[in-house]
Amino acid sequence: MSSGETYRVRMSGISKRYNAIQTLDDVSLVLRPGEVLGLVGDNGAGKSTLSKVLSGAVVPDAGTIEIDGTPVTFTSPADARAARVEMVYQDLSLCDTVDVAGNLFLGREPRRRIAGISFLDKKRMHEQTRQMLDCLGIVISDTRLKVENLSGGQRQSIAIGRAASFEPSVLIMDEPTAALAVAEVEAVLDLIRTVSARGVSVILITHRLQDLFLVCDRIQVMYEGRNVAERLIGETNIEDVVNLIVGRKFNARSATNAYRDGAPA
Amino acid sequence: MSEATSTRSAQSRRVRESTWRDAVLANGSVVSIALFFLIVSVIFSVATDAFLTSPNLLNILRQSAPLLIVAAAMTFVITTGGIDLSVGSVLALVATLSATLLQLGLPWPLVILAMLALGALLGAVQGYFVAYEGIPAFIVTLAGLSVIRGVALLITGGYSIPIEPGSPFTVLGRAWLLGVPAPALIALAILAIACIAFNETPFGRYVTGIGANAEAVRRAGVNTRLTTLFVYVISAAAAALAGIIIAARLGSGSSNAGQGFELEVIAAVVLGGTSLFGGRGTIVGTVLGALTVAVIGNGLILAHLSPFLTPIVTGTIILIAIWLNFRLFRGAVRSR
Repeated sequence: MSSGETYRVRMSGISKRYNAIQTLDDVSLVLRPGEVLGLVGDNGAGKSTLSKVLSGAVVPDAGTIEIDGTPVTFTSPADARAARVEMVYQDLSLCDTVDVAGNLFLGREPRRRIAGISFLDKKRMHEQTRQMLDCLGIVISDTRLKVENLSGGQRQSIAIGRAASFEPSVLIMDEPTAALAVAEVEAVLDLIRTVSARGVSVILITHRLQDLFLVCDRIQVMYEGRNVAERLIGETNIEDVVNLIVGRKFNARSATNAYRDGAPA
Repeated sequence: MSEATSTRSAQSRRVRESTWRDAVLANGSVVSIALFFLIVSVIFSVATDAFLTSPNLLNILRQSAPLLIVAAAMTFVITTGGIDLSVGSVLALVATLSATLLQLGLPWPLVILAMLALGALLGAVQGYFVAYEGIPAFIVTLAGLSVIRGVALLITGGYSIPIEPGSPFTVLGRAWLLGVPAPALIALAILAIACIAFNETPFGRYVTGIGANAEAVRRAGVNTRLTTLFVYVISAAAAALAGIIIAARLGSGSSNAGQGFELEVIAAVVLGGTSLFGGRGTIVGTVLGALTVAVIGNGLILAHLSPFLTPIVTGTIILIAIWLNFRLFRGAVRSR
């Protein structure tokens, strides 16, 4: 290690070209254990592509990825999963007509064998679900509720809880708080803090800049496929971040308002 | 942080424990078909003397056994979001082939095993095209309906093939055990197995999951293709069992048996509240749906009304029951 520090994730020189468009151009990213990194940038800046490279869904043209100091190559999401990198996809991870416990344990249900046939151990499944939800601070009254009857924030919490239950070392979330009510955003942000306090490194992609200041340790700004800036959360403010995102001095009234209203702490 | 805590307690106050009323709403489809079943039964009990007698009720069970068996299997298929239109044709092919094989002198246990295996094989072929080749189930099984019925007609030349009346094979359709007809006992056993498999096993859970969000189940590491293929194996094997029972009961194998049977089965399943879009199904509802269809047919005959009223009444009840599910019990499902 040239830096002398072992990072949880260290991506360097990542490039990806789709036909005429250089989506990622020599991008690097580092992530420490238990750190929450906010990844921001305008639409098309390359945040999602970068996260897909780390989750194995996109294979980069060039660049290296190291996890805990070991070089890895991901050619599929299964490879990334094996290296304990999980990505939260809400729409792709929940079955609406299955209950909360069933969704959390989908594909790895507790079983008991009677006469050689395996049955669902529902009692154990609901008990473990209750423990898991309490441990993560997710508020759901009944683990027998079907997921379709939950609010957007509760659904998102279940999706995150499910990903977190695989004991990942890195969790990637793409817009987990989009289209949620205010109180629900708080609950999801609390959950992100709880997960990172357990030593999981989190990459949070969001357009809600006020969220960054509530949960992130560090912010990385991307602009047109390149890294343009990196800021520790204590050394920046919303106006600074907005200027970095749009790439020039920008008098965004929405940002100043948001800063005053959204980040009184 | 104190703000967050207060919002949490506010949330937990809003979310109350589920009550019996929620349970009724959540199982609205089963409740509404149960109501229909009761209403129809009460009407015929009052209107006719013969309906509410144990010989008649056992007769209903005996006659509806094939419907109950195949409808239970079809519940799995429809819950994955698929459909199997070929069950009537499989029934006919198995009925004719079992009669033919018995005429050729094959021992009856072998015939039964061979027919169940044939059903499973036909289901596996159709399931392969649905699950692994991605062709819509409606098209695959529509082709199956046509081809399999055609084979049955080709074998018999359109004639029905008699089964020796003394053959032990006919026991399956005609015997009475402990005062209950054998087909009803077979149906009861199949329904119990189906109910347990649907609700208590990982397989049943994945069937529901595939209907709700197949991609989520696949990402959870489940072999969704094999699971999908398997539901067609189940439905065709159940149709084969129904074919054996019908051939045994009638004492002959006819290539015209089970015409329109697939629609009767689908009607029973849909009446029971299983969603044609997948993800939602219950075996209990299917049993009630199938029994309602059977009771209507039986009661109209006992009331000396034209048997041709049966499809009219059944169709009307399907529409009203589904309409009630949409209107009355809409509260159970958050509309999105």
